[in-house]
Amino acid sequence: MDRSQYTRRSLLGGVAGLGATAMAGCSGLLESQAVGEPPVVEERPNAVYSPTHVEGMEMIGMTDAGDRRIGLMYSYAHRFWTMDVGDTARVSAGDADTHLMASVWDPDTGQVLPVRSGLSITIERDGQTIDERTPWTMLSQNMGFHYGDNVSLDGDGTYTVTVEAGGVGIDRLGAFADRFAEPVTAEFEWEFSRSRRNEISFRQLDGAGDPGALDPMEMKMPLSVAPAREDLPGQVVGTGETGDATLVVAVTDRGGEPYLAVAPRTPYNRYVLPAMSLSATLAREGEAVLDDSLSAAIDPELGYHYGTAVDGVDSGDELTITVDSVPQVARHEGYETAFLSMPDVELTVE
Amino acid sequence: MQPTQRGVSRREFVKAAVAIGGSAALSACLERESPDLATGDPSSVPDRQHAWNEALPRDDHGNVRIPRHHALLLVEYSETGVPDDDAREAVEAAFRSLERAYPWSNEGLLFTAGYAPAYFDRYDADLDGVALPAPAALAPFEDPELDEPDAMIHLASDYGSVVLGAEQALMGERATLNGVDVSGFGEVFDRVDKRTGFVGDGLPAENQDVDGIPDDEPVDEDAPLFMGFESGFEKNQASEDGVAIESGPFAGGTTQHLSKIRLHLDQWYDQDSRSQRVAKMFCPAHAEDDRVEGVGENLGDDNQVGDCVDDIEADAGSHGIVGHAQKSARARDENDTPVLLRRDFDSTDDGAAGVHFLSLQSSVADFVATRAAMNGSDVSEGSSVGTRLNNGILQYMTVQRRGNYLVPPRSSRALPRPSP
Repeated sequence: MDRSQYTRRSLLGGVAGLGATAMAGCSGLLESQAVGEPPVVEERPNAVYSPTHVEGMEMIGMTDAGDRRIGLMYSYAHRFWTMDVGDTARVSAGDADTHLMASVWDPDTGQVLPVRSGLSITIERDGQTIDERTPWTMLSQNMGFHYGDNVSLDGDGTYTVTVEAGGVGIDRLGAFADRFAEPVTAEFEWEFSRSRRNEISFRQLDGAGDPGALDPMEMKMPLSVAPAREDLPGQVVGTGETGDATLVVAVTDRGGEPYLAVAPRTPYNRYVLPAMSLSATLAREGEAVLDDSLSAAIDPELGYHYGTAVDGVDSGDELTITVDSVPQVARHEGYETAFLSMPDVELTVE
Repeated sequence: MQPTQRGVSRREFVKAAVAIGGSAALSACLERESPDLATGDPSSVPDRQHAWNEALPRDDHGNVRIPRHHALLLVEYSETGVPDDDAREAVEAAFRSLERAYPWSNEGLLFTAGYAPAYFDRYDADLDGVALPAPAALAPFEDPELDEPDAMIHLASDYGSVVLGAEQALMGERATLNGVDVSGFGEVFDRVDKRTGFVGDGLPAENQDVDGIPDDEPVDEDAPLFMGFESGFEKNQASEDGVAIESGPFAGGTTQHLSKIRLHLDQWYDQDSRSQRVAKMFCPAHAEDDRVEGVGENLGDDNQVGDCVDDIEADAGSHGIVGHAQKSARARDENDTPVLLRRDFDSTDDGAAGVHFLSLQSSVADFVATRAAMNGSDVSEGSSVGTRLNNGILQYMTVQRRGNYLVPPRSSRALPRPSP
């Protein structure tokens, strides 16, 4: 799949070395490097697709913060898409120096906490605030869920980055019930230089635009992978597809009562899909026995999911899951055309 | 706008002078601005300190336009214990001399004096008839420093030189103002902090070269505030009657909340689309139907989010976005009237884009309720709206400081006893 495996700098050096005669035939390559990224694929499927390139990433650090662990990473500044009213809005790299990313997880279970917490980042140098922002919640093919944004720095040097993660603002179930309520803060020292950044791998890919996805990155920190269907607790009562996502439905026990859990995940990499609004109806012999919106929740075994209490689920019940709001997370390339139009999922309980 | 020989526009110069303070800056400022102002008459000043609207101009839609230049002086009583009558008389004389120096209008000087909970703590007796809580953090994701001086003086005028002159008079740094002999606070108050700012068409664009705003000067020339939209619509403001304390010894007074807010508008201007900005400032329907032209002057005297309020849960559920005005409009009294009278303005204090969010309300509890509505926690918890992302404009601001004050009626504005 790889056409080349160069850092961006060595590729630029290589192009310069080809000389003027060779340049004419290389203008596409040169242009794409000058803007940092190849152009977006013109024909993109309404599904997860292979992006034009894959970038590496450098860890800045990992540290414990209260009952959570926070990791901070960076890469090249790059385009991504935020969620607009009824559409997506493309954000270009502009003249930003880097794409800065944070991830928050439970050190005990390794579960990434893709949750509402109002996480903010402050970047300081020599006591001066260089940047302070609430980064976007994001989904990328090689990292899954994280917080990230393109930021401009003040040249090479040592920066102090403070990450403040608020209390988790969704339902916390099971062993998570008493955890993650308080805001936590982590501080990182970051030695940034453009030359070191340019050592980060940058590969253009063949097959851009084809259905598919990058492999998850091998990292020292956990990724936001949803439990496999067979690993879900309770009874899996059905699976449905919508907008290129898979919705796995399980019925488990919560405090002695049946609990309906819907766990949406991406194709290929099985990442959780956060920040959706879902509702469900359950009909038994034509009678509605449930018509409710689902609440986002985290659970050590179910992972991140959407759920509600239910009187009981019987084989043959007709379950309809309605996606009221598609995932309101910014998307890295290859995810921006998927999970946008998500029709109802109808299934008969197995 | 007249560029000076050093290439600094007159407005920029006045803004700089207000921020810098100091008599050299003031005299240079006066030379440049040199408004030809009448003197004032204390007998024509209203009984309520916050009665400014009659003295202020209105735009074509009937919206009150508050003065363009502002200063906030946070002061501490210089002695321990409770003030005596001599101190009280000196403070009242200082305020009277300001009223004599300038007319009570946007072209002259408007001001209020408010007193913090820390001031009333000096007395054994409880504050009579007014609940004045100490300031506190008002969202799970904020951690503001709490302002607890004794008093806060808000000075406002369309002329920066008037604001600066009034400050200097109060602090005893000048003996005449607009040709009138003035007396200051003397030894009664020490100034512990000063904040400055501006509001009105053109001023944010002229002052956008600060941290928190992208370098490509994105702020619209017509915008009265850094975020690029009109604000202070007549129908979305409480009236001066509405925010007045109704009974007790402080009847006719009001309560004041002041927060110092840092703005982070890189994402707002570099990354958000126009549609996202409109949806987040007003409501998603305003964006979908393209209801806001330019800075929003076409909205008239009402931000017109009334219809959006009922849709807030639907918007949260289906769009995953709710608007700032849409959330805030939920905080209304039993007569469906807004409860805050906003007199907020922008700032470049500390070299950074900011807002001094100053609001008046009959009770601080009204501010707390409005801020809770603005947090939108009730909306975000059941939907895909984030704690701060896609949740109005929470993503773009950090509350750095908060303070609460009681603005007594004019008759007891000088070092009031808890039951004057």
